Amino acid sequence: MIEIHHLYKKYGSDVHVLEDINLTIDRGEFVFVVGSSGAGKSTLLKLLLREILPTKGFIKVFGRDITRLRKREIPYFRRNIGMIFQDFRLLEDRNVFENVAFSLRVIGVSTREINKRVPLTLKLVGLQDKALKNPGELSGGEQQRVCVARAIVNRPAVVLADEPTGNLDPNTSMEIMKLLHDINVRGTTVIVATHAKELVDYFQKRVVVLEGNRVISDRERGVYLNAY
Amino acid sequence: MHIKSLFYFFKEALRGIVRNGWMSIASMGVVSITLLILGSFVVLSFNVDLVTHDLKEDVQIVLYIDEKANEGTRAVLHSKLVAHPQVSEVRFVDKEEAMGRLKEKLGDRSRLLEGYEKPEDNPLRDSYELRTSIPEEISAVAAQIESYPGVAEVDYGSGVVEPLFQFTGLVRWIGLAFMAGLAVTTVFLIAHTIRLTVYVRRKEIMIMKYVGATDWFIRWPFLFEGLILGLIGAVIPVIVIFYGYQAAALWMRSNIYFVSLLPPEKIVEKVVKILLPLGVALGIVGSTISVRRFLRV
Ligand SMILES: Nc1ncnc2c1ncn2[C@@H]1O[C@H](COP(=O)(O)OP(=O)(O)OP(=O)(O)O)[C@@H](O)[C@H]1O
Ligand SMILES: [Mg+2]
Repeated sequence: MIEIHHLYKKYGSDVHVLEDINLTIDRGEFVFVVGSSGAGKSTLLKLLLREILPTKGFIKVFGRDITRLRKREIPYFRRNIGMIFQDFRLLEDRNVFENVAFSLRVIGVSTREINKRVPLTLKLVGLQDKALKNPGELSGGEQQRVCVARAIVNRPAVVLADEPTGNLDPNTSMEIMKLLHDINVRGTTVIVATHAKELVDYFQKRVVVLEGNRVISDRERGVYLNAY
Repeated sequence: MHIKSLFYFFKEALRGIVRNGWMSIASMGVVSITLLILGSFVVLSFNVDLVTHDLKEDVQIVLYIDEKANEGTRAVLHSKLVAHPQVSEVRFVDKEEAMGRLKEKLGDRSRLLEGYEKPEDNPLRDSYELRTSIPEEISAVAAQIESYPGVAEVDYGSGVVEPLFQFTGLVRWIGLAFMAGLAVTTVFLIAHTIRLTVYVRRKEIMIMKYVGATDWFIRWPFLFEGLILGLIGAVIPVIVIFYGYQAAALWMRSNIYFVSLLPPEKIVEKVVKILLPLGVALGIVGSTISVRRFLRV
């Protein structure tokens, strides 16, 4: 479903971040992307979301080369992808329900449909009782659940998470990762960039290691490398 | 665009306006002031037009015929006047008629004219009263006619007419220049206000982009915000002008009888037709600038 071919990315003229990346990710896979700070994990996810363009190479998603998308096609492409951030990025002046509903409203989903889908999604992430709370009244783990709900409420085929547990304590991190795992079990492809060694080792999923601008390891049922 | 989306854009725009508080009020204020000044000029110029129109009706050239001119010269003069392309009306007034008018004008004091009544004693001259098709050309026409044969003197109320025309022209130009400056300020302020909204809402905009909202969906609320600021900014001066003018017209009617003003309803109709589209246009131009420069979608 996702094919990355000879992908290069440099910022400006001399900051080489990714060099000759080749990856294929199938429908329904769960992939950890690990690597030291500055290895290019976030850059890779940004490329997958077509937030930035590669310097060379191409990325096929759902059979389409997304580096050649026209500007006005990008929004429609992104509706197939859910994005989760380390810092949650919730709207502080709206309650949980409205935060999740927001991502549907702005792509023109009807209110009736929103009223159906948002409660279901909140239930899925275990926040059915917090719908009317504001993000400020929630714990970090709960806030991240809202972020997950917002990413999946539109039933995207792929979920990208950039250090989703970076701001959370170990127990809460485990809960969030289990939630992402649940989502994956229901059929969604999940790609997680992370530093959380224990979690990576615990879940025994495919692990892609980025180091020195390249993929140095790509194993099924892998573990977090201690090489650095 | 769906009705539902329209409603959403409108709501978001209002949110932005309320959130920006003082900045919104400032932009609406500047729109209002600009349009109030423009509106006042419009009101003034419509009324000045009305007055000058009345005056223009009265503007005419009086041409006195040389007493020594013979029948032949007079005939040539008459045919030349009739043939002049800018002269629209030629009326001959002989000296008996002139005497009659003078008597009427003097009324009670017409005894002053005793002794001049017999035609052979009449000191007045035969004359022509001429109108030009374009009132502003009156002085040029008068200058040409002065050299015609059998002409003793040409009089056209110079000194009154020309300064008036010059004055109305000047008022119009100053007004336009002033307005242009204010319009630029207005656009700038609206752009700045919208920019503030863009800044306050940058997180929302970022999320909208991530979840796949189209660029136009993101832009519309900002364009609406500018539009609403411009529209409210235009409605205020319309109301002020309506009531202000009504009061002024009332005062004029009871204090200066001879000036006829346009009725307030008519003025408001004209002012609305100019101010509302202009307010909306200023608002849209302002927000478009901001959306293009700061939204980057
Ligand atoms: N917009 C940018 N302009 C220039 N350089 C950038 C830009 N974004 C990232 N970089 C550089 O690219 C390299 C990779 O950044 P990236 O954010 O992808 O790393 P990362 O693997 O996500 O790191 P971390 O684990 O700290 O999040 C870094 O050296 C970073 O400084
Ligand atoms: Mg990163």
